[in-house]
Amino acid sequence: MSLFLASIGFGLITSAVLAIAAIGFTLQFGVTDVLNLAFASVMTAGAFVAYWVNQAGLSVWLGLLVAMAACSLLSVLLNLVVYTPFQRRGSTPITLVIVSLGMALIIEFGIAAQVGGVDVSYTMGQGRTFHIGGLILTTVQLVIIGISLVVMAGVHVLLRYSRLGKAMRATAANRTLARNCGIRTSRVIAVTWAVTGALCGLAGTVFAIDIGSFGPTSPDLFLVLILAAVFLGGPGHAYGAMLGAAVIGIATEVSAAFITPDYKYVVAFVALLAMLAVRPAGLLGARA
Amino acid sequence: MYYIINLLVYGAVDAMACLGLSQQFGIAGVTNFGFIIFQAAGAYAAAILSLPPDTANGGFQSYLGGWHLPFPLPWIGAAVAGGLLALPFTFLVGRRLRGDFAAVGLLVTAVLVNLLVTDYRPFLNGDAGLAIVPSPLQGVISPLTTRYQWAYVVLVIALAGGVYWFLRRITESPYGRTLRAMRDNDRVADSIGKNLLSLRTGMLVLGGAIAGLSGGMLVGFINTWSPAAWTYAETIVLFAAVIIGGAGNHRGAVLGAVLVPLAFEEGSRFIPNSQNLPPNLIPSLQWVAIGLLIVAFLWFRPQGLLPERKRVITLPGQAGVRPRGPANVPDGAASVADGAASVPDGAASMPDGAVPAADLRAGAAADQRAAPAADRVAQPAVPQRAAVPQRGAGAGLPARLPAGQDDVLQAVDVSRDFGGVHAVSGVSMSVRRGTLTGLIGPNGAGKSTLLALLAGTDRPSAGKILYQGQDISGLPAFRRARIGLIRTFQLASEFKRLTVLENLLTAAPGNRGDSFRGAVAGRRYWRGDEAAAISRAEAVLGRFGLTDLANSYAGDLSGGQRRLVEIMRALMAEPAVLLLDEPMAGVHPELARRIGTALSGLCAEGMTILMVEHELAIMDEFCDPVVVMAEGSVLAQGTMAELRERTEVVEAYLVG
Amino acid sequence: MRADGVTAGYGGDPVIHAISVRVEPREVVSIVGPNGSGKSTLLKSLVGVLRVSAGTVMVGDRDVTNLPPEEVARAGVGYVPQVDDVFAPLTVRENLEMGGYLLPRKAVSAHVEQVLAVFPRLGSMLGRPAGKLSGGERKMLAMGRVLMLEPAVFLLDEPTANLAPAIARSLLDEHVRRLAEGGATVLIVEQRAKAVLAISDRTYVLGGGRLQLEGTPAELSASPDFVRSFLGGGGRAIPSGGT
Repeated sequence: MSLFLASIGFGLITSAVLAIAAIGFTLQFGVTDVLNLAFASVMTAGAFVAYWVNQAGLSVWLGLLVAMAACSLLSVLLNLVVYTPFQRRGSTPITLVIVSLGMALIIEFGIAAQVGGVDVSYTMGQGRTFHIGGLILTTVQLVIIGISLVVMAGVHVLLRYSRLGKAMRATAANRTLARNCGIRTSRVIAVTWAVTGALCGLAGTVFAIDIGSFGPTSPDLFLVLILAAVFLGGPGHAYGAMLGAAVIGIATEVSAAFITPDYKYVVAFVALLAMLAVRPAGLLGARA
Repeated sequence: MYYIINLLVYGAVDAMACLGLSQQFGIAGVTNFGFIIFQAAGAYAAAILSLPPDTANGGFQSYLGGWHLPFPLPWIGAAVAGGLLALPFTFLVGRRLRGDFAAVGLLVTAVLVNLLVTDYRPFLNGDAGLAIVPSPLQGVISPLTTRYQWAYVVLVIALAGGVYWFLRRITESPYGRTLRAMRDNDRVADSIGKNLLSLRTGMLVLGGAIAGLSGGMLVGFINTWSPAAWTYAETIVLFAAVIIGGAGNHRGAVLGAVLVPLAFEEGSRFIPNSQNLPPNLIPSLQWVAIGLLIVAFLWFRPQGLLPERKRVITLPGQAGVRPRGPANVPDGAASVADGAASVPDGAASMPDGAVPAADLRAGAAADQRAAPAADRVAQPAVPQRAAVPQRGAGAGLPARLPAGQDDVLQAVDVSRDFGGVHAVSGVSMSVRRGTLTGLIGPNGAGKSTLLALLAGTDRPSAGKILYQGQDISGLPAFRRARIGLIRTFQLASEFKRLTVLENLLTAAPGNRGDSFRGAVAGRRYWRGDEAAAISRAEAVLGRFGLTDLANSYAGDLSGGQRRLVEIMRALMAEPAVLLLDEPMAGVHPELARRIGTALSGLCAEGMTILMVEHELAIMDEFCDPVVVMAEGSVLAQGTMAELRERTEVVEAYLVG
Repeated sequence: MRADGVTAGYGGDPVIHAISVRVEPREVVSIVGPNGSGKSTLLKSLVGVLRVSAGTVMVGDRDVTNLPPEEVARAGVGYVPQVDDVFAPLTVRENLEMGGYLLPRKAVSAHVEQVLAVFPRLGSMLGRPAGKLSGGERKMLAMGRVLMLEPAVFLLDEPTANLAPAIARSLLDEHVRRLAEGGATVLIVEQRAKAVLAISDRTYVLGGGRLQLEGTPAELSASPDFVRSFLGGGGRAIPSGGT
């Protein structure tokens, strides 16, 4: 029993981190129609920015904020300087995916060149341990889960209740019509990338905190989980991403507990391929 | 010395891999981000097949292998393994999935398979991989001798050359043309009857087999194979190579292989190993360079260093004297006859000039030239439909209908509902043989729906469709096409990176070269069919006066000309009844008139045409009878002059 | 709003040539013509969705030629496209709110109420996703969305296309007429020429990408050229038999 509960605990944290990342990824796709495979690399950038702040003697939580800002800027630039010109030229979605792969290489290995091959970790305390209903979680882990819940709530409020959020949804649904309403869609898109970029930086830092020791290529495998969560819920749907994150996060950890830990990604992999084969629009997406 | 041998072997392996990838991605448009796992499968297969029973490969030998097969069996096994591995992934490249989604699925597969093999020790010895893999024929000659190594070099280069030759054979055939058409516009390729799933599956398997063979070649040389050798990132390197070298050009693939993976592996040799540099710096910078090259090339030179060549086909008629029409040839004919190949953007000055009023005469002259060409060929292509006169086989003439059916196409009390909306209700109409019948009506009248019902792209909710007296209501569109009932579509549908002539040839039915087997059999096998198709295409081009555009890329044409390509392509399939959906939409009035003239000419020769149009001037001049629809039913029928006199017709148009 | 000598197209050859139309405040002006005559193209070039290669477009004193659509909207132009006219995944209320995007936050609810007064049917489905509405309801929502902003001029692109005749008639007679009676300025492109003539102050007839005729509905109904521009051939007046 305790193995199961422990795996649920791990699952919660994975889901928490995954949710932040998946929401960011899926919103980028929804509003811009680009599968930004460089997302994991930007997460790496965030993790390392936080690391450098941490190394300078400051708290890693402060580093987290700096990482969010840095990744926000990086993402906006990525869209403005790379994706938008290609789209304006009429490039096919495949070309854009290949471009995003190229950018992933540039960003990730640019950082690796800086940082070298040794894994690093943050200097931080883990806080006390709490026993909650059979689960054993540290303060830091609880904080991570809390952050994730805040993000989910925040995104919900943003999309449902705020003018900007509705403008984002409108832009994603029908860009020309949004412009006919007077919405400056290029600004909305830039803000979307800024917000999702911040989420990406947040996800990267939290991911690094969670796994303890990390290197420039650590988030790569995480991208598989992100893709699985996104496609499970439906690409472009923020709520789908939340649902997908919950399912994938918990399913992978639980399966890891009962099958060998090495295979936990298999669940995500199978889910992703199954969705692509059967229902590419996702569980919450419109039927094709 | 060893260094050069190493370089050459790796070069050959990479070249072969890039060729396989270029065939998938550059020619057929299948983006296989998991390519490397096919190479890995081949390497593992070759290793397993050639390993003897007792080696220190972690005891996994006990459950698999130990057969110690002699060369060349392991390499054959490698190719087979690579090809077989492709089969489970066909679902990802089927018709319905968006290209970038499918690519991501394959990428994730590559990541996961590598992970699984690394972690699951018993399968392929996990992380440690296989070692002491025998080299081919190592019992006979020692692999350590220079003589052996040079022989190996020769062998792998020869194999790579063989793959190159084979792929050229496949690509420069009607089958290859179909692949490229699918790459350019898969929706349209589908609508002219190409089986996308089977084409893509074929390419996955072919590319997989080639990748597998390259893996076998590699493992025979380096004698070891582990997951580190085939991370998902290797696929990206190969993609970079193909993009840089030139996707769609096999020579480009080889060039890319030499420039990218080879430079990638060998480049670091030349940078002095300074103590001060962190150990990861050079490899990291190499990856950054690859990323930069990919993005830079896709932006500045997406066609690569060696772009895809245009397939120029000399028309049999163009070698000789061009037919000159009678004195009333409009201006511009002279300049066009000089064989100008450039295509100016403005429609007005276009080869409209090449079409004198003697359209028919030009067509007839082409017929006469085509006939001898057809005779020269051993077996002229005879479509397996209604009997076609020998002379007409290569000249774009319609297949003759069996005599006795005057109403060649009929709708009998046909209705089509869309959830409560009656798009078509109780329509009965018929099309007489040999007529150019117009179908007009305001928006929402149901014209396009009726056309779809006649063509088979949609099924009626009630009523029957009769073709030559037989009920075809249950027949799907592609089957109706095979019996001579063919339609065109409203939306742009040309294959942009194929020439106009190639666009037409893709629609020629019954070409033996348009299958994998046919392509492999070689030019001699399909030469006859191809020549017949070319003759037919030339006649069709001549009829519309676009002979000089034959070798221009279809994507370079003006809007009106592209509409013509669609009609000409429909004609290539030798329809008995042709259903045209707004063929003049957006077409220059003069060009529209020329199209009308050409269509009339076809009807005079026995074809039946039903045309949905808004250009009432065209209806005036060419169509008799004209059927008017409004709000889902047929209002009236007659010549335009008659219809204008009728109150209800006028009302319909004004009321809408 | 006025267009002077506008020539525009979809990138290649121009579809419309040197067209000049104008609509004065509180007028209902219609643009009719056979299919392919360039009516939709004209509207799209007026609102900035298509590029104008020659000519100018003015809203009042302001030159809006080739401005991006969001700026044209901000100049007071409300455009209802023929297709893709609502945000399908958003609810009816959210669609209206998007229409009122440029309004100050406080005014949005009040405007929603006003729109619901004009289109009461919408009031019963505020929470429904727009994609689930019927054709007629969608068109009402699309018009309501534009109405939110109380634009200086309404541009309607074939609002009755794909609607059943009864609904089409009610859309034109009731709703568009009601807009006009409320003082709106409307430029409407339509295929149902007779129906829209009945509610117009002036009408332009397009054909082959050019302006063919212009006049009041009375003038045009009596003119033989009017029928000819639709059906070609010899001209004759609209037959008086039938409605």
